[in-house]
Amino acid sequence: MKLLVCVSKTPETTTKIAFADNDTRLDTAGVQYIMNPYDEWYALVRALELKEKFGGSVTVLNVGPAENDTVIRKGLAIGADDAIRINANPKSSLFVAKQIANQAKEGGYDMVFFGKETIDYNGSEVPGMVAELLDMPFISFASHLDLDDDQVATVVRDIEGGTETATLGMPFVISAAKGLAEQRIPNMRGIMMAKRKPLQVVEPIEAADVAVAVKYELPPEKGAVKLIDPENMDELVRLLHEEAKVI
Amino acid sequence: MSRQYICMDTIRFLMGKVHPIAPLFTYDRYADFSEDEVDLLLGAAKDLADQHYFPHFKSMDEHGVVYDNGEVTTPPELGDIIRATAEGGWIGGTDKPENGGMNLPEMIFGTAQLIFQAANNSAQGYVGLTTGSARLITSFGSQELIDTYVPKMYAGQWQGTMALTEPQAGSSLSDIVTSATPVGQDGSYHIKGQKIFISAGQHQHSENFVHLTLARIDGAPAGTKGISLFVVPKFLPSPDGSLTYNHVFCAGDYQKMGQRGYATTHLVFGEDQPTVGFLVGEPNKGLRYMFQMMNEARIAVGQTAAGVASGAYYASLQYAKERPQGRALEQKKNLGSEQTLIINHPDVRRMLFTQKAVVEGSFSLAMECLKLSDLIHAAPESEKEDHFLLLDLLTPIMKTYPAEMGQKSVSMGLQVLGGYGFTMDFDLQQYYRDIRIMAIYEGTTGIQSLDLLGRKMTIKNGKAAQLLMAAVQRTIHEASTYDELKPQAQQLGKALERMGGVVQHLMPYAMRGELTTFLADATLFMEMAGHVVIGWQWLKMALQAKQDQLSGNDQFADAFYESKVQTMQFFFRYELPKTVGLHRTLTADSLPLTIGQVESALI
Ligand SMILES: Cc1cc2nc3c(=O)[nH]c(=O)nc-3n(C[C@H](O)[C@H](O)[C@H](O)COP(=O)(O)OP(=O)(O)OC[C@H]3O[C@@H](n4cnc5c(N)ncnc54)[C@H](O)[C@@H]3O)c2cc1C
Repeated sequence: MKLLVCVSKTPETTTKIAFADNDTRLDTAGVQYIMNPYDEWYALVRALELKEKFGGSVTVLNVGPAENDTVIRKGLAIGADDAIRINANPKSSLFVAKQIANQAKEGGYDMVFFGKETIDYNGSEVPGMVAELLDMPFISFASHLDLDDDQVATVVRDIEGGTETATLGMPFVISAAKGLAEQRIPNMRGIMMAKRKPLQVVEPIEAADVAVAVKYELPPEKGAVKLIDPENMDELVRLLHEEAKVI
Repeated sequence: MSRQYICMDTIRFLMGKVHPIAPLFTYDRYADFSEDEVDLLLGAAKDLADQHYFPHFKSMDEHGVVYDNGEVTTPPELGDIIRATAEGGWIGGTDKPENGGMNLPEMIFGTAQLIFQAANNSAQGYVGLTTGSARLITSFGSQELIDTYVPKMYAGQWQGTMALTEPQAGSSLSDIVTSATPVGQDGSYHIKGQKIFISAGQHQHSENFVHLTLARIDGAPAGTKGISLFVVPKFLPSPDGSLTYNHVFCAGDYQKMGQRGYATTHLVFGEDQPTVGFLVGEPNKGLRYMFQMMNEARIAVGQTAAGVASGAYYASLQYAKERPQGRALEQKKNLGSEQTLIINHPDVRRMLFTQKAVVEGSFSLAMECLKLSDLIHAAPESEKEDHFLLLDLLTPIMKTYPAEMGQKSVSMGLQVLGGYGFTMDFDLQQYYRDIRIMAIYEGTTGIQSLDLLGRKMTIKNGKAAQLLMAAVQRTIHEASTYDELKPQAQQLGKALERMGGVVQHLMPYAMRGELTTFLADATLFMEMAGHVVIGWQWLKMALQAKQDQLSGNDQFADAFYESKVQTMQFFFRYELPKTVGLHRTLTADSLPLTIGQVESALI
């Protein structure tokens, strides 16, 4: 079984966000990056679990510049067998999707994994686009994935107010939500092995960036905390009503 | 997500820039490593701390340790923490591959430990002890001892301990009386005696306990020259894997004010039936061997203090940014105006700056020490002695400055929370209780200070001291080339001269054999040396920040670099001047007021 896990890079969750160039891009000074948690904790780990059960291989793939190699190496340290980086500096989801689809087609994968979204711009766009470009079935926000001996997959996905269960045959595209697996922290041996695993760099195919961000804005600042005496419920209600305006 | 307890950018700045790790990779021993691995390893350590250590910081304190008839029940979460740490490779990582390790640089391993210590200091104690005791076996033990004990210890299945202290032998290890009687030609002995205050000496998360025990072989010379080191397991392992009780009885657990999830046990060896122990290395060299573990543990205790102070700093910083109270003095009468956040009051800022200065100054010193440990392993033979001497001198300071100043810093953190700091609802009270032990175990502050002034300053005709002076001078010299750092560079130079002045003033007493006078105020000398050494570290950090800013390096944000320079300025304005008063006391014309027949005044 050949499994492809697409991983992206995102600023660490504690990053103080600021913008540069007339608010058209993130100011990257001092920003530390991590692998997108939905890709790492759920998509990658579930793929590894399936490989451990059924055999096969897990490849991690990223579309990005050479700086992304550390994030890719983390995927190898956690247990992926090899990696591909498509050497580009993408500005739009469609560009990324076209690169991935092209690579996935060539590789002939049985499952293509994504996280449900990257936690920087939270677009949730790429997986659906890739499925469309590959003309494969797509299940988003999967919180459970199992494969039976006939290689039929059962997938549970979270929907508003409940869950939906679907069965489907391979190949397919899936985007992972919380619950699909549990985070694996790479161990020292895995980290030291990672650099001996193959990381193939390929050049991108021709594709246009069709959407470009014109402006970013920060949400309004959080106000100060007000401590209210537990005896004084009326004051709490008044503040929630008049100041927070939530009731 | 867990609350912040450590600043990873500061860790990266220290390891990547101020004490750059990269040159270590040019040595054979560390050739397999690169900065990519450093990133991944530190990231893995932080993940482990976030997922396994920090979530149980409070609950381990609340659960505490329960003793019942030889058995000790520690918090249930501890088992998972030990297992995850071992699986990550964080118990045996620094050892040689043939012993199950990966030759991991101490800089990375020690920094990972610092992250765990900041997240949950009691939990880290258990695994840190296993690391130290297993390394003692691989350094000095026979191959048989290594094969029998070390794999299980590195796998987190068997707990290691250091068993030194006895009721009459705490600070004074020369008074140890636990006895060892030879029983055969194979290096086995019957061990009889009692050890008290033994950390991690018994709990439900380990199949076996491997006590690295100091004892005296029958007929051995008195004092430290007659002490030997033994492996004393609670259960004797057989080649088929079965375990037989070795009559190591846990007679109690000390209930403590802090580190309440960390078992502190009373062990009895060979009371009713013989307890078998195995000699490590040669007879009568036990204390020398044990000093390997004790020196590592001293650095680890200082680090733990710094880690605890770090957790407290971020807890109080967050509070100060959210708690409105009072108004700026100029706005005092304007009661209609909104209250200001307490972080805007200069007095609160002073406390927060002090905390930051103590925490990060101590982190930097820890990194300096860890790097020296690596150089001792890896550098060419001709350079090793200098690294060894400098580390030997810095070790008591690394143990003591964070332990003593960390207490003050955590106390200030608690003060930042006002009344809430005193309640059990916030973590500050736990940090305050936990940090208190750091100035006591692994040699009290008094003992560390005697070691610093009485031994380390004079070792090899003062060579270690000269190495330190030269290293500080190099930083002063470099910093002097930047206008903005010149005043502090000069100030540090003067403080260093003052420290030299104290040594000159006291040395004649040592020469005349008047040791009590020479060392009466050793602890004040330690305080002075600590401030000088931390001032040195702050100047190093500010210098690096300036250089990075000027070269347009944007690995860190401008605000990050500025905060380093500002905290350095704070340290030099508010902390380093304390050396002036200390110098005055230490060089007074008359004898110290604590010597001679003065105890009658203590009524
Ligand atoms: C929580 C905890 C965990 C511990 N864990 C371990 C462990 O795992 N293994 C282990 O072997 N031990 C352990 N210890 C023991 C610890 O190392 C000793 O408590 C410590 O070394 C001090 O010894 P003492 O308690 O006998 O105090 P004492 O030696 O009686 O000291 C009392 C006071 O006198 C001062 N003093 C003593 N001698 C001198 C001197 N010559 N000059 C100047 N001042 C002096 C000391 O500084 C101190 O202020 C632990 C202790 C505690 C509390």
